[in-house]
Amino acid sequence: MPKFPSEEWARQYVEKLNSSEAYRDSGKKWEGDITFVIQKDEGNPTDSFLYLDLYHGECRKYLYSANPDDVPKSEFRYIGKYSNWIKLIHSEIDPIKGVLTGKFKLEGSMMKIMRFSKAAKDMVNTATMVPFEG
Amino acid sequence: MWYFRSPQIVYGPDSLSFLQTIGISRAAIITDSTLAASGIVQKVIQSLPENASSKVFSGFSPEPDFLQIKSNLEGVNAFRPDWIIGVGGGSSMDAAKIIFAMYEKPDLQVYDITPLSPLGLRKKSRLIAVPTTSGTGSECSWAAVISEREEKRKNELASPEILPDYAILDPEMVINLPRQQTVSTSVDAITHAIESYTSSWNNPYSDALSEKALELILGSLVQVVEGNGDIESRDRVHIGASMAGLSFSNSQIGMAHALGHAFGAIFKKPHGTSVGLFLPEVVALNSRASRERYDRLNRIFPDSFREGNLQSSLKKLFARIGQPLTVKEAGIGRKEMESNRDALVSLAMESTGMLTNPYEAGTDEVRETLERCYGY
Repeated sequence: MPKFPSEEWARQYVEKLNSSEAYRDSGKKWEGDITFVIQKDEGNPTDSFLYLDLYHGECRKYLYSANPDDVPKSEFRYIGKYSNWIKLIHSEIDPIKGVLTGKFKLEGSMMKIMRFSKAAKDMVNTATMVPFEG
Repeated sequence: MWYFRSPQIVYGPDSLSFLQTIGISRAAIITDSTLAASGIVQKVIQSLPENASSKVFSGFSPEPDFLQIKSNLEGVNAFRPDWIIGVGGGSSMDAAKIIFAMYEKPDLQVYDITPLSPLGLRKKSRLIAVPTTSGTGSECSWAAVISEREEKRKNELASPEILPDYAILDPEMVINLPRQQTVSTSVDAITHAIESYTSSWNNPYSDALSEKALELILGSLVQVVEGNGDIESRDRVHIGASMAGLSFSNSQIGMAHALGHAFGAIFKKPHGTSVGLFLPEVVALNSRASRERYDRLNRIFPDSFREGNLQSSLKKLFARIGQPLTVKEAGIGRKEMESNRDALVSLAMESTGMLTNPYEAGTDEVRETLERCYGY
């Protein structure tokens, strides 16, 4: 099993996302990139970044790095501490409630993301399907 | 971690007199032109403190759009109110919420009113909602709907900061509500109670409110609709509708609202009529995920309407009060429906109602549910 976060986890996540019928359906009009920012805390000593180039229900490209300079500037950033990411991918935190309760921060056009809230939910649901070592 | 949010609620006969107790100096009253010309808004003005000044802003149509908000906002800014009072149905109260946010923060873009970022309101004024219908629940919610005429879209704005400070539920404000509006808005309230109860964000507070809301509404609705209602039965429906509003405001809505918003935006049908049109079939679809919860709600139905499942009980009730059960009954022809079908499904899929619907429906299932409501 891959560690979270890691290049291997990112690869398996993108593979699952691209084979998800739910995401292909809900994200079919989405055009834009997003970076998951996994902030360091007591469970993980470094910040990590997963850049996803998403287009019409498919992830065309991804890039995982611990160096922010390695990842392109993206339209959206979904930011949270490592321990909260672990809760998210264990389905213990809802992705939208996570923002409303201050566990996560979302940067980017709120108007756009609200129209694709189902796609955002499907992206997180997919993350729960990738087994990992915490 | 989650929250329960509510305005302070003042309810029952004579509750408008509460306005005299909260030190209002300058009240901007947001309403529609029909109400402004009626005695209803006068009742509110007469309930203000003697030395308070007020100004009525009524340039809103039933489904306000951003241009109407903007044109009224200039007058509100010039008036410099310390209280903004939304008087009317959901549209007026929603307009008041948006005006309030944009008066408070002039640099705010309307689409920045989302729950995902803080707005920093209540620096200049506070917000009161006085509903004149029993159903939208807007007086208790932190949501506001604004239309986009060109795109035939209803945008769902939301922020905890646009939750009114006070909701005033005076049954005198609804005692003369016409039958059609009573039906449409009460169906909206029933839909709120049911969708919030089965939302994936349901919680003990919304559960209790939904159950009690249904009990109050269903116990008095037929009496009220058929014109045999007294002020007490109006009061029960009014309070029940507000409870349903509180419930959905704290646990969200579902697919009947997603479809209803899209249908209402495209065909210009009343909101309650639109969401109620889809509710029975959405309940049927969602039963795959929420059977037990629907059964609990079904037990709240009075004996005279209770059938073997919630979908059937709803159909029986709706038929009795005159709520359309099909797109055809709602007055939309097959050709018109077919030519707008894909756009409607697409709009529904973008609705936040899909996010918390108990059953994860994809585009094909949403389309099939819509088609089951055709009635052709």
